[in-house]
Amino acid sequence: MSLLDSVMIVVRVAFSAFIPLCFIAVCVWMERRGAGYFQDRSGPNRANIFGFRAAGLVQNLADAAKLIFKEDVISGHIKHKFYFVLAPVIVFFTALVSFAVVPFADTLVVGGKSYIMQGIPLDLGILWFLSFVGFSVYGIILAGWSSTNKYGVLGALRSAAQVISYEIPMGLAIVSLLVVYGTVNLNEIAQFQGKLLFGFIPMWGAVLQPIGMVIFIIAAFAETNRTPFDLAEGESELVAGFHVEYSAMKFAIFFMGEYVAMFASSAMIVTLFFGGYQVPFLSTATLIGQAKPVAFLLMVIIPVVMHFFAGWIRRSNVSHYPRENDPRVFEATVYIKCLWGLVIFLEIVLLAILFSASGGATAHIFVVLLQLCTFLVKVTMMIFVYIWVRWTLPRFRYDQLQKLGWQMLLPLALLNIFITSAFVVALS
Amino acid sequence: MGAKVKTMDRKGASFQERLYLIEIFKGMATTFGHFFRNLLDNRKLYVRHYPEVQPEIPVRWRGRHRLTTHADGTVKCVACFMCQTNCPANCIMIEAGERLDGKTEKMPVKFKIDLLECIYCGYCVEACPLDAIRMDTGIFSVTDNNRESFVLELPELLTTPGAFSEEEYKKGGA
Repeated sequence: MSLLDSVMIVVRVAFSAFIPLCFIAVCVWMERRGAGYFQDRSGPNRANIFGFRAAGLVQNLADAAKLIFKEDVISGHIKHKFYFVLAPVIVFFTALVSFAVVPFADTLVVGGKSYIMQGIPLDLGILWFLSFVGFSVYGIILAGWSSTNKYGVLGALRSAAQVISYEIPMGLAIVSLLVVYGTVNLNEIAQFQGKLLFGFIPMWGAVLQPIGMVIFIIAAFAETNRTPFDLAEGESELVAGFHVEYSAMKFAIFFMGEYVAMFASSAMIVTLFFGGYQVPFLSTATLIGQAKPVAFLLMVIIPVVMHFFAGWIRRSNVSHYPRENDPRVFEATVYIKCLWGLVIFLEIVLLAILFSASGGATAHIFVVLLQLCTFLVKVTMMIFVYIWVRWTLPRFRYDQLQKLGWQMLLPLALLNIFITSAFVVALS
Repeated sequence: MGAKVKTMDRKGASFQERLYLIEIFKGMATTFGHFFRNLLDNRKLYVRHYPEVQPEIPVRWRGRHRLTTHADGTVKCVACFMCQTNCPANCIMIEAGERLDGKTEKMPVKFKIDLLECIYCGYCVEACPLDAIRMDTGIFSVTDNNRESFVLELPELLTTPGAFSEEEYKKGGA
């Protein structure tokens, strides 16, 4: 095993382990500021370090500091302390590991060797994801049961019943998808979606399987316990549901687990239905061949986008009341200078690519980075959809939830399989 | 005379509404409209930047209490116990004493209001026959670190100024 091999393993494992963790901060920030903006209020925007608020991101640090220093209570009535502590770990771990098989860039070919850009280069792909998402509910059930609390048990039971109801439509939606793609390997699925339908539409899962997409997204919302399916923690009737007895960091682990699960299932939705890491209309081969024009185009686009973004920051980051020597104006100037510094760095990198040998290792790495950014942008947009739905829809009633799962989604998913199979058989 | 009956249309029965997804997208379009409008221009948020921008307190607002005084600075209260009797929260504790300046016969020696018990109903102000207690200080945020400091004593009640002029207060309907 050469040095390059080791470096590649470290890089991809680090990516698939740390990106979900970094995205917890981004998700919480998007959730809170997004909720604010959806409801015409501003969200957390006061916490700061030396006056720098980073658009409210500093609030996350304050929250984390609070949760770390809170008293970690295990009530005296809890008999099975081991399971009580184990439950949040299961929730967090399964959510984190389920992301490991998602490819975040196309196979990298450097020095005659190819490296699959996944945390764990498995062929199982989608099956791995299904198994771990199904397993994460054990954490919730264990939490509810071991906390010896009626609310906790009720929340856990609801969650268990909900996962059973929605795992089936989810699995069936994936079956129809696999009929189309003909593989369970997520990297191959993403490569398949790089092709063009009729020469001008990206062959994404969303185009080929619209019904499957709707079913899968609804089921994914239910699996991650997000509104409108967050009955397991329905505040109005169950206080807090399964995590009612948890405090401090044990609660924080549940909380972070929820956001990691949201990130992982967003990544899975993007990989299955929205082309994964594929840049729309540009397949990997095209990108590697045309690395220089693409780099040049980016060199033009990035400063233009940054110019308008800087204008937006300047307009938004001011105090909305009379204030002498508004410190927020200075704050905005610092942000804009930092971002321009970043843009200059990117320009230098792109310039280096422009002057490197065409078709070489540089072009390959450039394409990998480009696809990585595309992937993260797509995932962020999907997370935004999660947040958007949460602040739009009210929670389902429990019987409505079961009715939707068994009487609507299940027949629809079966019908979708029949239609898809008929099409695939007729076309082949 | 028969009651007027208005029959409301029941929503949610048509096929389009039963599909549910279309209605969801309509709702999501509404919320996204709000999000996008606020993102483009955050001055449109319905937000008061509170500690810096204070709310405008109307005259009839029931804020923290104060005891009024005569023009010469002596206390108006005659310790009649009307407010204490009326108080539904039992937060007023008066101790009466003899008054020696010739204005009346009685005056309060101690006058305590426990703000943690007070429900700000304003019955004390209504009950007072001499307009001696008012809630027109405009103080709405009462905060401190210990319970004892929430019990207002006579000097503090007398020195807190009203937030409005006499004409404004009278016009406010008190």
